[in-house]
Amino acid sequence: MKICLSECQVMRKIIFFSFLFGFLGWCAISLKNISAQQQYTEIEVIDGGNVIGNVKYVGDLAAVGLDLYRDWELSDTSKTPSEKLIFSKINNGLKNATVSIKDITKGKKKRIPTIHPIIDQQNNIYIPHVIAILTGTTIDILHGDEGMHNIHTRSIKNQPFNLGTTYKQRISKKFDYPEIIKLSCDLHKYACAWIVVLDNPYFDVTDRNGYFEICDIPPGTYRFQVWHEELGNLEKEVTVHPKETTSIECVYPQN
Amino acid sequence: MKPKVLLDKIGLWSATTVASAALMLSVMPMTASAINVPTEVTEVGKDTYKKYCSPCHGEEGKGDGPLARSLLPKPRDFSRGAYKFRTTPSGSLPTDEDIYRTIFYGVPNSTMIPWDILTEEQRLSVIPVLKSFSEAFEVRKPDASVNVGLEIRPTERTIAEGKKIYEEKLECWKCHGVEGRGDGPSASEQEDDFGFPIKPFDFTTGKFKGGNSPTDVYLRFTTGLNGTPMPSFAKELSDEQRWYLTHYVLSLIKPEETQNK
Repeated sequence: MKICLSECQVMRKIIFFSFLFGFLGWCAISLKNISAQQQYTEIEVIDGGNVIGNVKYVGDLAAVGLDLYRDWELSDTSKTPSEKLIFSKINNGLKNATVSIKDITKGKKKRIPTIHPIIDQQNNIYIPHVIAILTGTTIDILHGDEGMHNIHTRSIKNQPFNLGTTYKQRISKKFDYPEIIKLSCDLHKYACAWIVVLDNPYFDVTDRNGYFEICDIPPGTYRFQVWHEELGNLEKEVTVHPKETTSIECVYPQN
Repeated sequence: MKPKVLLDKIGLWSATTVASAALMLSVMPMTASAINVPTEVTEVGKDTYKKYCSPCHGEEGKGDGPLARSLLPKPRDFSRGAYKFRTTPSGSLPTDEDIYRTIFYGVPNSTMIPWDILTEEQRLSVIPVLKSFSEAFEVRKPDASVNVGLEIRPTERTIAEGKKIYEEKLECWKCHGVEGRGDGPSASEQEDDFGFPIKPFDFTTGKFKGGNSPTDVYLRFTTGLNGTPMPSFAKELSDEQRWYLTHYVLSLIKPEETQNK
């Protein structure tokens, strides 16, 4: 009788310990995952500062080449102005540059929009040309033309896709990893858009006069990164003061 | 119950069991679970890759081996994890069986030969080596394979329906040409993801790169070819329409021309 009891107890202990170890192991693995994935911590920003600025390009506009040898009519590439490099003639402000903070570790809450941002394709051109989103955001890609298009992304970490679409098709895709992704249509070579996926909520895309605004930044010194599809990267160190608006200017040198 | 009836019943049941077992055995080698792919990179795999694959695909798998310069289509660059011939949806990584299939059967119309000179162990051992070249395999997992429904029998009607899709709905002719010779108006400007020029496929040759069976052709435009301009039409076409298109594409093969070449 005694032996039987002790056996029972041993069994119970074994079961208990195995559960305990299993639980501990699970905890350790999940903790490790969290620490590996989330370098950005969300805090409540009380005395945050703002940064407004202007991205400029001082240089000669690379003239849009006319393709004279293609056909009797002007080719489509020559009819539509290229969206690669657009800047204002008044203040040299550069359109469609993405400004983000590179080395921020804590800050305001990540708000993933519940209404999906849209990239629309009209007259073979993607609107908007550059879109910056937070990781985990879903984008809807619409098709507003009567002809056939294909939507082709080139990415490594986010799952790429290449889907043929016709009129009124809507495709929703979620982007989970920070990456700069080119979206293009192989049937209309000049049509392309850029999706910039970032892992912190401090970013903006410049408007047609090159202005941007980033709000609620915890005070400190940060490295701001500007990215443009033609002109590449530009970095600038900016000190943000509490409850103040800092004005900066980023200028791409003439090349 | 009479003993004779009982005997009959037993006989029937045993016959059914034997028949189903035989059926199972005959189906087994066809299914994907028949092969056992090693999960870790082994010495055999490294040696095999270096000896047989790296001359074209490069030591680092970037498609830049010493022979790559003189080849067209270019050997695949494995660093992006983009594989053409898959059973998984557009953009997804391939399953191990997909990679094995391409190694085993090769790619017709290209310099990738069927690697039946290697042993099965060698062929299998290369798969983890290929996967180790791309960080995509660390981040993502391959999606589940596309479900290929029941094949529809080709008739004149299905071919006519397929022709409508080819010429009107999807405008396949823009790249592949009206007669399927790969000479459409947009054919000359196509590029793959690595920036190399790529030719739309000429259907009249009848040597399909991903295999000649209707299921293979069906899978090509259901899954698309990753890394190339060829998209997936999984969203645009219903299952039946894809079979129609398959039948039309297969009807474009011109055997008499191919024999003369």
